[in-house]
Amino acid sequence: MKKILALILALAMVFCLAACGGSSDDSSDSGDASSASSAASSSTEEEGSSDTDGEEAEGSDATEETGGDVDYSNLNVGIFWYSFSDTFLSTVRASLDDLLDEAGITYTDYDGNGSQTTQNESITTALTNGCNLLLVNLVESGSEDAAQSIIEEAAGYGVNVIFYNRTIEADGNEGALLNAYDNVGFLGTDAPEAGHIQGQMIGEYLVANYDSLDLNGDGVISYAMMKGQEGNAEAIYRTQYGVEDANAVLTEAGYPELEYFDASNTSLYQVDANGAWSASAATEFMQTNLSQYSEANGNMIELVICNNDDMAAGVVTALQAAGYNNGEGTTTIPVFGVDATDTAKELIANGYMTGTVSQSNTGYAYGLKFMIDQLASGATPVDAAAALAADASDYTFTLAEGIDSKVYMAYSSYTGE
Amino acid sequence: MNNPVKSLRQTSERYKAMDGKDRRAFIVDTLLNNAIYIILIVFVIFTYTRNSNIISKSSIINIISLTASSLPMALGIGGCIVLTGTDLSAGRTVGLTAAISATLLQSLTTANKFFTDLGEVPLLLVLLIALLVGGLVGLVNGFFVARFQLHPFIVTLATQLIVYGICLLYYMSHDNNGQSISGLSDAYKNAITGSVISKLTGGALVIPNYVIYAVIVLIVMWFIWNKTTFGKNMFAVGSNAEAANVSGVNVFFTTLMVHTLAGITYGYTGFIEAARIGSNTANTGLNYECDAIAACVIGGVSFVGGTGTIGGVVLGVFLLRIIFVGLNFLSVSGNMQYIIKGAIILLACSIDMRKYLTRK
Repeated sequence: MKKILALILALAMVFCLAACGGSSDDSSDSGDASSASSAASSSTEEEGSSDTDGEEAEGSDATEETGGDVDYSNLNVGIFWYSFSDTFLSTVRASLDDLLDEAGITYTDYDGNGSQTTQNESITTALTNGCNLLLVNLVESGSEDAAQSIIEEAAGYGVNVIFYNRTIEADGNEGALLNAYDNVGFLGTDAPEAGHIQGQMIGEYLVANYDSLDLNGDGVISYAMMKGQEGNAEAIYRTQYGVEDANAVLTEAGYPELEYFDASNTSLYQVDANGAWSASAATEFMQTNLSQYSEANGNMIELVICNNDDMAAGVVTALQAAGYNNGEGTTTIPVFGVDATDTAKELIANGYMTGTVSQSNTGYAYGLKFMIDQLASGATPVDAAAALAADASDYTFTLAEGIDSKVYMAYSSYTGE
Repeated sequence: MNNPVKSLRQTSERYKAMDGKDRRAFIVDTLLNNAIYIILIVFVIFTYTRNSNIISKSSIINIISLTASSLPMALGIGGCIVLTGTDLSAGRTVGLTAAISATLLQSLTTANKFFTDLGEVPLLLVLLIALLVGGLVGLVNGFFVARFQLHPFIVTLATQLIVYGICLLYYMSHDNNGQSISGLSDAYKNAITGSVISKLTGGALVIPNYVIYAVIVLIVMWFIWNKTTFGKNMFAVGSNAEAANVSGVNVFFTTLMVHTLAGITYGYTGFIEAARIGSNTANTGLNYECDAIAACVIGGVSFVGGTGTIGGVVLGVFLLRIIFVGLNFLSVSGNMQYIIKGAIILLACSIDMRKYLTRK
């Protein structure tokens, strides 16, 4: 009886493995893309090898423009995401996967699952498994030690590393790694920029609607701030500049600065204790805030600033449950987020949310694919960064000041179409 | 159910009959055994002196709503703990069932519809699906625990990972690409976060509907635990599985059903959470099990097995929520919340074990 059971279990396991290996469409997510993309890459190999002789004479200009003529046959890209559950990065992942599938590039997505240790282990495994280009979305954003160990490990294999989205250098220490190693590049957003844009947008919105927003008529707008995570550079800048820049605009227009709704809270924000930038944390904070602060009590929170759109959506839910932000006939508290997720865009279209800062997922994917093409055709990360900054596409990329291998993708404000 | 007045009178008579030393021991014991209640009262009074709003009507409604949102799950996990087990898959199961509920109940006009061609789906059908999916996860947990005598910690750790993986795949499917699911239908939102009580009381008491549902779940679970053979068997198996087996209790079936019942409460929680939060991602439900387990042990559901009451679980959930709200009202950072939660868990469990140690 036991033997039969053991046999059945063993067969089930074999079946599972076989099933995983066969599913070529999903394999980019499940971690064994080599089998899936090998077929695709073999077709490009033919194309590539026949073209190479002709193209080489023309130099790298041709490859920069099209990218289709790059020989991908030896390329094996490892893409390391900090977490598969991140909403915005999931959309980047989907866009990038599409571009890479289209080009027939062999690649594998790895989930860091919010743990730097997990990410380092996946990187080591990938390198020993023949991965020859790393795209890394660092888990511990701003941790130079974590980034440095990855860079050095990759250098040992002669492999280039492109970090993206999450910063790798501490505030005020920019260039410490990117200028020190020549196998590393960075594509991301200028961390403070989202905060600046958000703050500017909030300031302008407040100035335009000041009197109707000042619900209790005390001449001061009281605000709440939802912070996504402690210790994350993006969260820190957004929390800081979202308010500071709004204040600057207000002061210039002759209005008093914003005031945090809870005078006894010296940190001036409420933070997701799980560090997950989650809607549920924001909902519970806002629900609790609203049990104390309301229009009836004359101390209503008149503005909510959130580090991302998930939290903004959570705040909107809490507001709606309390009878605000339900469209016509109800008081609408302006809620601002960052990311321009589809959810936020719809909330804005319905008038339940006011504004967000747009960070293009397709722009990210385009930029990363562009750099892969450059590196695959033999360019250094610095050359690839320069070419991307010079590239004329729908997206705006700029080189960071004083760091030749660091490219910023521009943010823009979004308040509906 | 003892008559409280009568039992109080008996206690006072007993107290009068004691000598000085016994009396002191009696007082210390009583204080320690009720330490959680005392902490609760002291904490509320302290918060009240700093910020009197905590006793206001809206604040009390808020605390009750928050308690109601996490109570059903804690009741489910409580059963697993009575069997000396635990359940780590709870949070992720909530995430999955929340995703399923939200995708099936998006409004027809939303721009980001997950199932593009899906029409209106009856609420009760979706609730049933959520309960079934949750129950299925629980059934798998229970089967592996009961059939292979694996520790629930291991089984549920495994199912937690599997469920999370399915949840991620689900969010990536249908060209959704991991975007959060929102734009829920008004009928769904009103059914969960709307307030019938508000309408009945003319807007005086805005208690969301999910509080009513939580009370129903509470009554059902109380009935199951206290008034059914299955409930008695659960405690018997938790106290001593061998003895229960010898006395004719079907240990396999009981274990299977306790986990399935727990799974059903996660399915229910997922159905509620999807509407309560309004915007669902693969992170929905993250770490929910930690709070639920903490609430159970604070409420006296012992990992020793075989002991625990529904009232205790309610108290545990209530205490954790009071701390969350109270610290917010005191404007204390979330960091302190961890320390205070940890200290209370340690204290509660130590007091709990003290009873067993003296008994031995």
